[in-house]
Amino acid sequence: MNDAERLSGLLSACARRDRSAFSELYRATSARLYGVALRLLRREDWAEEVLQDCYVSIWTHAAEYRGALAAPMTWMTSIVRNRCLDWLRRPRLEVPDEEGELLEQTPSDRPGPAAELERVRGAQAMRRCMDTLEGGQRQAIALAYYDGLSHSELARRLREPLGTVKSWVRRGLLRLKDCLELQRPA
Amino acid sequence: MNCKDQPELRERLAAEYALGTLRGAARERFRRWMRDDPALARSAAQWEERLMPLAEAIAPATPPPSLWHRIEARTGGAAASKKDVLGKGFVWRALGLVAGGAAAALLVMAMVLPLQRPGVEYVALLSDPKTQKPVLLVTAGRRESRLHVKTLDPSIRVADASLELWAVPSTGSPKSLGLVPSADRAVIGLSAAADQALGNVPVLAVSLEPRGGSPTGAPTGPVLYTGPCIKDW
Repeated sequence: MNDAERLSGLLSACARRDRSAFSELYRATSARLYGVALRLLRREDWAEEVLQDCYVSIWTHAAEYRGALAAPMTWMTSIVRNRCLDWLRRPRLEVPDEEGELLEQTPSDRPGPAAELERVRGAQAMRRCMDTLEGGQRQAIALAYYDGLSHSELARRLREPLGTVKSWVRRGLLRLKDCLELQRPA
Repeated sequence: MNCKDQPELRERLAAEYALGTLRGAARERFRRWMRDDPALARSAAQWEERLMPLAEAIAPATPPPSLWHRIEARTGGAAASKKDVLGKGFVWRALGLVAGGAAAALLVMAMVLPLQRPGVEYVALLSDPKTQKPVLLVTAGRRESRLHVKTLDPSIRVADASLELWAVPSTGSPKSLGLVPSADRAVIGLSAAADQALGNVPVLAVSLEPRGGSPTGAPTGPVLYTGPCIKDW
């Protein structure tokens, strides 16, 4: 049984209110999902709070998981990403990484969250396709995905007009999709 | 949805939803559309799948053990394991945890004791048995009917649940001393003098309980922190 099948099985067991399956699911996925939340929110206390809500939600909505629509890890990651993006929308005083320290740590001709892109192993197609994007497109997409930046935040961070950034994102995504489809084995 | 006949727009919205750049009211609206439009939901799911290798590149990080306890408490799991922590089982567990972290706790205590305000005759230092990190300092005067509680590690605070402080006697069942206050320093009132509440109590423990405290008067959730309670007189 591969990882996805095992996780799917655990989710169905959770839908039947099987507590030991829930605890196994947590053990199998929490480090990955906590990593995702921590990366977006940059604060352990926030990431913990979001993850707590997400697992409660996964337990409550396990019956709604449709294997035909998404792989289990994708489904759970999307729950976490969505919750993080909602969290980042909350009005608040503190903004993580507001001054773009992450960007300043990396040479400007490289995508911002370079560490992650470097680590895209097992996903060579994605890596190759990210490499085919123009610098601005790649940077905008990586910052949006990893740091949860909105269009206007991207514009501020990249010091470019809003329209430029929006078009980088739009064209970058289209190009990424075309490239990934070409890479897929027939 | 008002863009059913605009496949390019639908595709773009689905992509930006998955990427996260679709924000605010537009994101909410898109979520509503997906509920009534399975094709749109599928398109968004495909984009999430497509971008998933980006998430897989993020370094995993182990969340603190307390997170699982909180999730268990909120999903009703702690109540299911109630028997494990009730009464004697609880005492045994709390004592066991203290034995594990006792050396570290006593060492910290040796440093803390001389710093205490005058009139302190009971001192308990509770720590996380896994990390041995001290989290809570509880002190009292013998004849005072209140406990002074100082939170040493603010990260122990939990949302949607309460931390309850228990006196674990050498025999008999644990008695609640009240909820761990949310302030860094606070006072918990006791129904009698500290001598009576703590005289025969070698250990204090904190359990995770539903908001407002244990509904039964006995601990129902997991034991998160424990520490020896020392008489300094």
